[in-house]
Amino acid sequence: MTDELKITAYRCKKCGRIHYPFHDRCLDCLERDFEEIKPEGDAKLLAFTEIYNLPWGFDVRTLKIGVVEFSNHIKAMGQIQIDDFNKLKTGMKLKTFWEPVRVQAGEDVFGLVLR
Amino acid sequence: MRQVAIIGAGMIPFGRRDEDSLLDMLAYASLNALDDAGMGKKGVDAVYVANMGAGILQHQTSVASALVDRLSLIPAAADAVENGPASGASAIKNGVLAVASGYYDYVLVAGGEKMREIVGWKATDFVATMTHPEVEYPYGVTLPGMAGMFTRLYMEKYNLTRDQLIAVAIKNQKMGALNPYAHVEMIITREGIVDDPDSVVNNPMAADPLHLYDMCPVSDGAAAVVLCSLEMAKKISKKPPVLVAGFGQATDTHTLQERDDPTDLKAVTLASNQAFEMAKLTPKDVDFAELHDAFTILEIAESEHAGFFKKGEGGKAVEKGETSLGGKFPINMSGGLKARGHPVGATGVAQVVDVVFQLRHELGKDRQVKGAKTGFTLNFGGFGNNVVAFVLRRAE
Ligand SMILES: [Zn+2]
Repeated sequence: MTDELKITAYRCKKCGRIHYPFHDRCLDCLERDFEEIKPEGDAKLLAFTEIYNLPWGFDVRTLKIGVVEFSNHIKAMGQIQIDDFNKLKTGMKLKTFWEPVRVQAGEDVFGLVLR
Repeated sequence: MRQVAIIGAGMIPFGRRDEDSLLDMLAYASLNALDDAGMGKKGVDAVYVANMGAGILQHQTSVASALVDRLSLIPAAADAVENGPASGASAIKNGVLAVASGYYDYVLVAGGEKMREIVGWKATDFVATMTHPEVEYPYGVTLPGMAGMFTRLYMEKYNLTRDQLIAVAIKNQKMGALNPYAHVEMIITREGIVDDPDSVVNNPMAADPLHLYDMCPVSDGAAAVVLCSLEMAKKISKKPPVLVAGFGQATDTHTLQERDDPTDLKAVTLASNQAFEMAKLTPKDVDFAELHDAFTILEIAESEHAGFFKKGEGGKAVEKGETSLGGKFPINMSGGLKARGHPVGATGVAQVVDVVFQLRHELGKDRQVKGAKTGFTLNFGGFGNNVVAFVLRRAE
């Protein structure tokens, strides 16, 4: 399932630090050589919220947003789609999907969806 | 480097100012500061204008050139400074450096923002444009959303409570009600926003676990200061000059997720430490502070990261009244962003203006920190990825 996620992270070839999003130089050692890596394994919920005042481009009442960490330590933000917000707990595992997350200029924008 | 002083400070009431354009507001605040400095018809060498959103919100650019024109300060040098919600303090820092270097003698710094003429979702979207364009913004995350995630982590790590957040809101709105420049002049009570059954309606969830009353309002407003060397200030100023004793600025990763500990606001600590080092002072030497409480959580987290309280103690201090007027370390006696309002480009300048009023002992008994000699400001950009701090002292 994680193969379908269009997330590319960058592991520093010198010190191993993982970057997502891209940086031109490693945050730790300033080297410029990176290996592209993909998310692997489970997504563990690190932080989350439910937003009630939404910006432009969303046709829903609220948005649940979370940051997850994959087994290979890539951290990424995504939209959480779960009926009961109160069921969310820090550290829980969520399933990951690559689906539309908003509409911009009439087009679907795809991103990380968590369930 | 020359020591730099603030000889003039002015602002206009924040709030909804439909009748005024952005340039009107910047001009009024600037004239207040120039008059306060007793500049008369004397010109300045340079003008720095702090503004985040005129290009998006008013479809107007080059606001600094427009302001010197309005004020007939031509041919003064003029630059606009955009550093998100920390634009105000960034602009003052640039002005201070210019005077300190000896290159310019008199500098005007004005900050302003006009945010109320657009509908709410557009304002929310405008502020969200400072999130990462690829890995954050597309998901619809807003600054309140970032603050909500941060708050839950802070609660889990430091046992911060909702009651402590509520205490910040109540304190700051109480002070705002006493400040003629504040946007929000309504006193709130715990009964009204928490205990009353209607509180689910009047204080709804905004970005879990933060509620509406944990947020600052969206405001129009402007503020300005006039800078010159301390030596000159002592000769010409009729009011006690305020010395820019120290300043600091630091950055951090764009996204929260790339920070080793997302509850650690490293840029706040670094910027504050730089300011204290330059001033040769410690947090213990400071009498009061104006902190960037765009969300109640930030007042508490900043008070800890700047070194005024130990981690996990800032919330308790608010509850015990230690950060209220008469407490051992008053915070946001202006009402803070929570009540003064948050026209983003104006905020960092307004914080300094409020500290100048305090250090000149000009406020009424209900807001004046008794015998205030040293104040501190912290202007917080992005979600802590660009932070500017000042230590200001009454020059005797
Ligand atoms: Zn590296």
